Amino acid sequence: MKTGLTTSVVLHAAMLGFGLFTLSAPSALEVADVEAFPVDIVPVESITQIQKGDKKAPANEKPAPKPTSRPDIVPDAQNVGDNKIDSDKPATPEPTQKEVDVAAAPPPSPKPEPKPAEKPKPEPAKQAEPKPTPVPATEVTPEPQPKQDVKPDPVAETIVNDQAEAEAVKLPENAPAPEAKPKPPQAQTAKTPDRKQDDKQAQEAASKPKSEEKEFNADEVAALLNKQKPSGGGAKRSTEQASLGGKKDTGGNKLSQSEMDALRGQIQRCWNVPAGAMDGGALKVSVQFKLSQTGEIEGRPEIISGGGAAGIERAAAESARRAVLQCAPYNLPADKYEAWADVIVNFDPSEMF
Amino acid sequence: MENLPLAQTGAELSIWALFWQAGWVVKLVMLGLLGASVWTWAIIVDKLVAYNRMRAALNRFEQIFWSGQSLEELYRNLSDRKTTGMSAIFVSAMREWKKSFEKGAKSPLALQTRIDKAMDLALTREMERLEGRLGFLATIGSAAPFIGLFGTVVGIMTSFQAIAGSKSTNLAVVAPGIAEALLATAIGLLAAIPAVIAYNKLSSDAGKIAVRMEGFADEFSAILSRQIDEKVAQRA
Repeated sequence: MKTGLTTSVVLHAAMLGFGLFTLSAPSALEVADVEAFPVDIVPVESITQIQKGDKKAPANEKPAPKPTSRPDIVPDAQNVGDNKIDSDKPATPEPTQKEVDVAAAPPPSPKPEPKPAEKPKPEPAKQAEPKPTPVPATEVTPEPQPKQDVKPDPVAETIVNDQAEAEAVKLPENAPAPEAKPKPPQAQTAKTPDRKQDDKQAQEAASKPKSEEKEFNADEVAALLNKQKPSGGGAKRSTEQASLGGKKDTGGNKLSQSEMDALRGQIQRCWNVPAGAMDGGALKVSVQFKLSQTGEIEGRPEIISGGGAAGIERAAAESARRAVLQCAPYNLPADKYEAWADVIVNFDPSEMF
Repeated sequence: MENLPLAQTGAELSIWALFWQAGWVVKLVMLGLLGASVWTWAIIVDKLVAYNRMRAALNRFEQIFWSGQSLEELYRNLSDRKTTGMSAIFVSAMREWKKSFEKGAKSPLALQTRIDKAMDLALTREMERLEGRLGFLATIGSAAPFIGLFGTVVGIMTSFQAIAGSKSTNLAVVAPGIAEALLATAIGLLAAIPAVIAYNKLSSDAGKIAVRMEGFADEFSAILSRQIDEKVAQRA
């Protein structure tokens, strides 16, 4: 036994020693650099149906309109936009407005300034009245210029800061005063030479004849002017990145081809084609039924075409109705419920064989 | 990518490092299996040597026995020596023969039975010596894989607990623990495979030797039976 034990121990020691040196850390597994193969899985709906989105944005996985900047959420809003109130009118483009803002930033300040200035000095204003029609820009402009210098910022600032509401409050006070009339023409004439491209000019031009016809009130004009941002569009907020799409979902809630196929297949499985109906191309049956949101059938499926009073036609109609009832809980996308709330299924035995 | 980061970030994977990283249960299992392996090989070496010697001894004895030498002389030569195998059977039978016959046994039939019994006893003793410890090989052969598996399961359990602790399923975290756990199974198999092979070979060898010895015992019993008959006839 001793010899056996000693040889065994020696052998094991040798093996272990050998293993320690040769079986040390295995060499790292080398993996060939394989190019990743990008695969896109595109649902059919994204091609066949236009989703809400942005026309200029690149196609994204998830359809989404342009992101909106306002954080507050308007409940039940349908149309995407930055508006406070949900409206389906398209948003007025902002870029033109920006140009106006840059150019028009100084002019609004001179306009309000004269108003307080007028009240003490009614006479020069009346003298100015006849002038507006000829409108020599050079003559009129010098008048407001000194006034601007005399009464600078503080008033202008307060008025600029005032919102349309504040002006509306002022209206009644100024309305009776006749002295206020002359000023607006001056202000208008002052503007016209400044920039002829202004949008507001057109509005003011429109208001001119009116002022000639009846008593003209500058504050009224100011009140009529829409100082709010020109706005349209909806109030639904979007935070997703914009992706390619239309303004509206055109067919977003139509069942896609694959979903329709699924429904068809489900019903087909439950359908026992009546014996003897194989050759009968005339035994087509249309069944109409209503579905609840859970996919259950509501009411009784109606046979709206095909079927007959007796015989094989009646059997075919009944088998179709049975098939619809048997498959009852239909699993359809809940967000397209409108599309499948009312379903008409055509049963054609000749297509089964 | 020349190397996977696994080899760098993971713990060292040499056998020695794997052993030291293992938990104490797994270490115990590994050490136990290593001991079993050592003992298995000790038995294998011992038995191989013993069987070779036994075969050589059988050959030598058969040669002497059938050489025509007188049995009395052979018995005198062997009786004072330590005997193994066939010689042990021969000596035990001759001793019984001498004790009974020289004192003048009355019944030859009873003498025959006694001699057979004595030879059977000697044969059993010899076989016991030959086959001793072979059972250990069988046990190791069947149990070592399970013991190794036990070590692996425990090791993997602890490594999964470590994964839960580190909250990462990164392969670099998982792999060393599983590797060290699998080492236990490897050692178990390393011990079990030679044990099974050796057990099968050694037990068949032992069976062959036993057949040879039984054959000799029967032959010798026949010779003695003839002798008894002759002696009884002479007396009558």
